[in-house]
Amino acid sequence: MSFLIPCPHCGPRDIYEFRFGGEVKVRPDETRTSAEEWAEYVYFSKNVCGLQKEWWYHTKGCRCWFTLRRDTRTNLPVEVPEEGLP
Amino acid sequence: MTRLPKRPTHRIDHEREVSFSYRGKRLKGLSGDTVATALFANGVRVFSRSLKYHRPRGLYNLDGYSSHCLMSVDGEPLVRACARPLRQGMMVEPQNVLGSPEWDLLGIFQAFHSVMPAGFYYKRFHKPSWVWPMAQKALRWLAGVGRVDPDMPDAVYENRHLNAEVCVIGGGPAGMAAALTAAEAGVRVVLVERKEHLGGRLDYRVLPLPDGIPAYLHAAKMAEGVLSHGNIRVLLSTSATGIYQSNQVTAVQRGGPCDPFRLCSYEIRAGSVLVASGAIERPLIFQNNDLPGIMQGSCAQQLVNTYGLKPGARAVIGGCHDGLLGVAHDLAEAGVQVVAVAEARRQGFDSDLANRLHERNIPIFPGHVVTLARGSGRLRVVVLQPVEGGRGTSYECDVLVASAGEVPLSQLLEVAGARMIHDPRRAVFLPAELPPRVHGAGRVMGLDHQEAIELQGKEAGLLALQDAGLDVSSELRHTRDALRSLSEPKEAWVGFKIAAGGPWRFVSFDEDVTIEQVEEAMGEGFDHPELLKRYTGAGTGPSQSYLTGQNLALVMAAAGGMEAGSLKPTTVRPPVEPVSLAVLGGRRHHAVKRTPVHKCQKALGAQFRLSGEWLRAGYFGDERALDEILNVRENVGFIDVSTLGKFRVHGPDALNLLQRVYVGDMTKVSEGRLTYSIMCNEEGVVVDDGVITKLGENDYFFTTSTLRAPYTCEWLNFHSKDEPWDAHVVNLTDAFSAINLAGPRSREVLSRLTDDDVSNEAFPFMGFRRMTLCGDMDAMIARIGFVGEICYEIHVPASLGPALHEALEQAGEPMGIKPFGLEAQSVLRLEKGHVIIVVDTDNHTTLHEIGMSKIWASRRTDAETVGAPALRFAEKQIHREKLVGFRMDEPDQTPPDGSVVVAEGAVRGRVCTSRYSPTLKSSIGMALVEPRLASVGGPLEIYRDAGLVKGKIPGRQTMKARVVPMPFYDPKGERLRR
Repeated sequence: MSFLIPCPHCGPRDIYEFRFGGEVKVRPDETRTSAEEWAEYVYFSKNVCGLQKEWWYHTKGCRCWFTLRRDTRTNLPVEVPEEGLP
Repeated sequence: MTRLPKRPTHRIDHEREVSFSYRGKRLKGLSGDTVATALFANGVRVFSRSLKYHRPRGLYNLDGYSSHCLMSVDGEPLVRACARPLRQGMMVEPQNVLGSPEWDLLGIFQAFHSVMPAGFYYKRFHKPSWVWPMAQKALRWLAGVGRVDPDMPDAVYENRHLNAEVCVIGGGPAGMAAALTAAEAGVRVVLVERKEHLGGRLDYRVLPLPDGIPAYLHAAKMAEGVLSHGNIRVLLSTSATGIYQSNQVTAVQRGGPCDPFRLCSYEIRAGSVLVASGAIERPLIFQNNDLPGIMQGSCAQQLVNTYGLKPGARAVIGGCHDGLLGVAHDLAEAGVQVVAVAEARRQGFDSDLANRLHERNIPIFPGHVVTLARGSGRLRVVVLQPVEGGRGTSYECDVLVASAGEVPLSQLLEVAGARMIHDPRRAVFLPAELPPRVHGAGRVMGLDHQEAIELQGKEAGLLALQDAGLDVSSELRHTRDALRSLSEPKEAWVGFKIAAGGPWRFVSFDEDVTIEQVEEAMGEGFDHPELLKRYTGAGTGPSQSYLTGQNLALVMAAAGGMEAGSLKPTTVRPPVEPVSLAVLGGRRHHAVKRTPVHKCQKALGAQFRLSGEWLRAGYFGDERALDEILNVRENVGFIDVSTLGKFRVHGPDALNLLQRVYVGDMTKVSEGRLTYSIMCNEEGVVVDDGVITKLGENDYFFTTSTLRAPYTCEWLNFHSKDEPWDAHVVNLTDAFSAINLAGPRSREVLSRLTDDDVSNEAFPFMGFRRMTLCGDMDAMIARIGFVGEICYEIHVPASLGPALHEALEQAGEPMGIKPFGLEAQSVLRLEKGHVIIVVDTDNHTTLHEIGMSKIWASRRTDAETVGAPALRFAEKQIHREKLVGFRMDEPDQTPPDGSVVVAEGAVRGRVCTSRYSPTLKSSIGMALVEPRLASVGGPLEIYRDAGLVKGKIPGRQTMKARVVPMPFYDPKGERLRR
């Protein structure tokens, strides 16, 4: 498997240059969270079949974290407005 | 066998002999030969035996597309001898024979062909059931296609990554035209060619092109332009194996005598991919169409024009395309007697070529085809018959050049996602729709006219430039107009319609699948090529879709009375050519870092080991480092710790950032003092530890472990990504060299390097000072206690590392200073009960397990410290493991790290680190165990794998230990505070 990731600073680069940072999630409020909710946050991913917003880190480039909307079926990064996200 | 007189098309060097061996016999070939042509020159005519019936097979194709020439070369099985360049001293052996290829005992299977129909192994040997295991064993032995030599010499395998705007696959006229067009516009081009030279089929064609220049000269001129072009990188002897997403082309190159590798795999990321892979001859199907002596046109032509070899004395040509008329001409010119040319077409063939044959009195029989070949083990007689049927005529000959037209080598386009449609005029499947940024040119797109082929190459080059964002619209229009003005590709004759009877009409040579078997399998319901392929094996094996693929779909349609093209050829999947696993496993280019004082350490006799990305001194002298350990305990030693992660955090929100990642209270970090703390992940699992100090207002310095340093910036940035904080992290790991000076006499050594007060009062334990050493060396010194003695971690700019190293050696000489390495450090810190995170801990070890809960600022929630919620939940879990110290009952028994702790027949924990402590004169260790085993004084049983004490005590065994309080050494920590 190999595809290109559009780094916002460096342009499209080979996936080998990046590290996957997981799906974009919201950290539960730690003063109120339960063990179950925390485990859900730490261990579970939605793993959708389709459009997904996720974190990527350009290890062998600008060393910046950025988010990307990727179609998990095609591995093609997709440009969609923020409100269009699932 | 003597070679033909020298010709300009020859790729062999008549003066340079190359000796090699075949079946143990020493033979001689010429430099430039392939293994197969060298064997052919030595009179070898039977090259292999077929998979199932062990029928003799001879030289058939010279481009590496057939299974006829599979041999074992230097212990490597399944080598296509026709495409492997001959090298001095090669050892060539036939494979899949019992005896020799000429006299193979297993040839007896031919007599049993009626009981070995398609998929016979699915049908027979099932009743009674006990037969099958035996039959399976026998079949496996018989179906062998070569043996791997376990002693095959190792070699270097490489992998390389290239980037280019354009990747051209195929170095024939279309590919070269495309590459030149793109390169002229200034973009980077990578051209991939399977052979050792450019030119494609023109390389071995002597007849002039329409412009009057001999084909090979025209190709040579183009090749010169390509090879000398600064924008084109040419990869010769390189097979493209796939085209993947976002135009990633994979290819494998075979190294020549001057290359530093045997094979090199490439990943080429290209803006556009241009496929100009050409075409291959489609086998003509008739009775005994696999006899040695029967070969393809390109094979005969290359034998004559490239290798200077006569394919035989008397030749018959049978086929239906102009290419074969050219072959007849070249054979005649080389002195082969061409007795007949059977041309299936009645008209439409090249009149110029026909005239040339007439001039040489070579009889052409329009409307005739080959329907039968005869001979035992070698071709003797060929029978030609009119296409409509009727009386046949026999011709004695030893060579039959036969092919039924050309099929595009569209495999790469197909794996890239091209849609194939059947062209009834040309009786082939052609790529119709191509994926974006993938273009085809030349014969692969069904063209057959030289000028058109090059024009389409140019068009493809222009399309690639258009993809790259250049405006080439007017040039593109001109090229397309010129292309349209040329004549359409010629109509082809559908060769497989003729099928006189006979059991040996092969559709697939590799798997011995005949027309009869295809018909039989279709009768059994395998009516689709995909199904039939899996049932009979047709289309699998070395020639895959190359020789079989399109024929199979058309043969099946004809056999089933369907319209040609109603059945699609089987799916092509990458890699389209076999790839050695070794080259995929290849060499990894791991960068290894050396510390600034590497050379100084080496001069002292350091034995290095890999630690993360660094080379670090493991020990000096004795492997167990007992002297080094005692010298630190009793005297003074120093260790290179330049690999420690060293970071500066500054900015108004620097403290916030530290509070976020460290579990300790960072507000207490002050200038001149060190604070030890730990980083956890969101699971509460420990990931790193180190010391933090304050350099000034909003300015902090901290260290991390060697293994964690590369990930620290990333970690800090990730966990502050949602904050609008103003804080900057600077990685100073490589900017500083650090040496840890440790031992009761370390203060004496340090005092000799500086005028500053280094007394215990002025510079206490956990103090941090900036000092000038040796008069002009700015240093940061941290007084830590990792190894349990008075200990100074001295950081200086990397370039001053060697100077510091030397200064310490000199200043410490009267005190008996000695270097120590990782092994000694590991024992020293073990004696102190200090954990090395990731070495002693794993993916489940939280702060609580290692007994470090006390450093956790547990009430703090506003900082959203990474892992804090998980630590809160884990704190209440009473079943969690505990870190304990143990002492072995037998002082000289030391369990290997990672040994499991057992009790009541189950695993109850594991040993983190265990070593013999020369200080305590006993084997000690740390283990993570279930809480009920953690009480001091309790026994521990440690399982010992018998395999680890070779030949000594077989079977299961346990070692006995007892839980003891930690630290083992200096429990009150008096020695490091002195």
